Amino acid sequence: MQKRNTKNNHSVIESIKNNDSNTLKQLYQSNYPKIEAYILKNNGNKEHAKDIFQEAFLSVWKNVKNDKFESQNDSAIHGYLYTISKNKWLDYLRSQHHKKTVVVSKINHFEAVDTNLYENDDDILKEKRLDSIMHAFKGLGGSCKALLKKFYFEKKSMMIIAEELQLDAASTRNKKYRCMQKLRTLASENNK
Amino acid sequence: MNPNTNITEKEFENIERYLSGSMSPEARKALELKLKNNSALLHYFNEHKIMQEAIETQSLKEQLDIYHSGISADKTLKNNHIKVISFPFKKMIAAAVLIIALGSFWFFNLSSNNEKLYTQYFKADPGLPTTMGETNNYDFYNAMVNYKQGDYTLAISKWEKLLNTKPKNDTLNYFIGVAHLANKNEKKAILYLSKVTNNTLGSFTNEAYYYLGLAHLKADNMELAKKNLTFSTIDNSKKILSKLNN
Repeated sequence: MQKRNTKNNHSVIESIKNNDSNTLKQLYQSNYPKIEAYILKNNGNKEHAKDIFQEAFLSVWKNVKNDKFESQNDSAIHGYLYTISKNKWLDYLRSQHHKKTVVVSKINHFEAVDTNLYENDDDILKEKRLDSIMHAFKGLGGSCKALLKKFYFEKKSMMIIAEELQLDAASTRNKKYRCMQKLRTLASENNK
Repeated sequence: MNPNTNITEKEFENIERYLSGSMSPEARKALELKLKNNSALLHYFNEHKIMQEAIETQSLKEQLDIYHSGISADKTLKNNHIKVISFPFKKMIAAAVLIIALGSFWFFNLSSNNEKLYTQYFKADPGLPTTMGETNNYDFYNAMVNYKQGDYTLAISKWEKLLNTKPKNDTLNYFIGVAHLANKNEKKAILYLSKVTNNTLGSFTNEAYYYLGLAHLKADNMELAKKNLTFSTIDNSKKILSKLNN
């Protein structure tokens, strides 16, 4: 019972939403070889396969979290991951093709089309902000990064984290607050 | 976006509880009302959501490489499977060839140990030196040339013509016999070689016993093979005998 929000529903979807590490690991490791085989067969190399699959994996995870993916059964997620990977690879091949055949002046046009993926300007701003915070988090100092990861990603309770850090609950809570402030500042500085 | 928008730890905890769904409905409503009227707080609230998402996403992203390194060994294994498809094919063929080879070796081995011993020792008599100018025996030596060239059938037919005039000539009988044996006709060989061994004083008797023994060996007449070989003083006769008696 390390997790917060522990529910009776132990479906794959629920486990993914809780970032259950075993579920995510299994989802990754059982699906990657199929995608790699597909990309290798279709003019790609192992580096492409890894990049495309990880991008697709993050998309699937995000869509599951935002309830954009609803499945009847647990196995549907594998097909979903495969389809998204495949589409991403085809998009990549197409974009490469365009870069080779389309004159430079038209590239801006394609970039504009690409941004249409987001529904409105707020989404674009949000994505940019997300990117800069992610970047800031990547470079965040050890203890803050570990604490925030335990709480927001591993979804461990404050009590467990406090135990792990050998702190009392109040100090841990305060530390988390200060780490979040630090991350915000760092992200804003990077953004300038 | 003002990074200096600072809120108290209490407000921070409120937002966290709201987002995690662990807030009472009354407290939720109160916070929602507050957010409506306080744009700075709303901004902080929205920012906080993005931060949570960013931490989760970045953490997962970093985790993916760990998952990936975990499968790198299996992955290469899997890739090898594709190449391996043609590989076992070759292996299977090699294995099949090996099985057939071993099988036939075993089969022939089983069918005739005697045959093996025969082929190990049988070597046609080198024949007699053919010197030109001995007109008397021209036909004989002419056939001897064929014999030495391995054309046993032609040699036999030529010698048999001569044998009609000298049916008891042991030189003729001997070489016709050996030629038949070299031609894999052990029954006829036995016929002619027996005539040679009947003449115990002939110059080819010793050799004739040896070849007769070999002919019987090839024909699987073990007792006759042994009997004839004991009459021969040729070294190989003794070797074969010792092997047959083992």
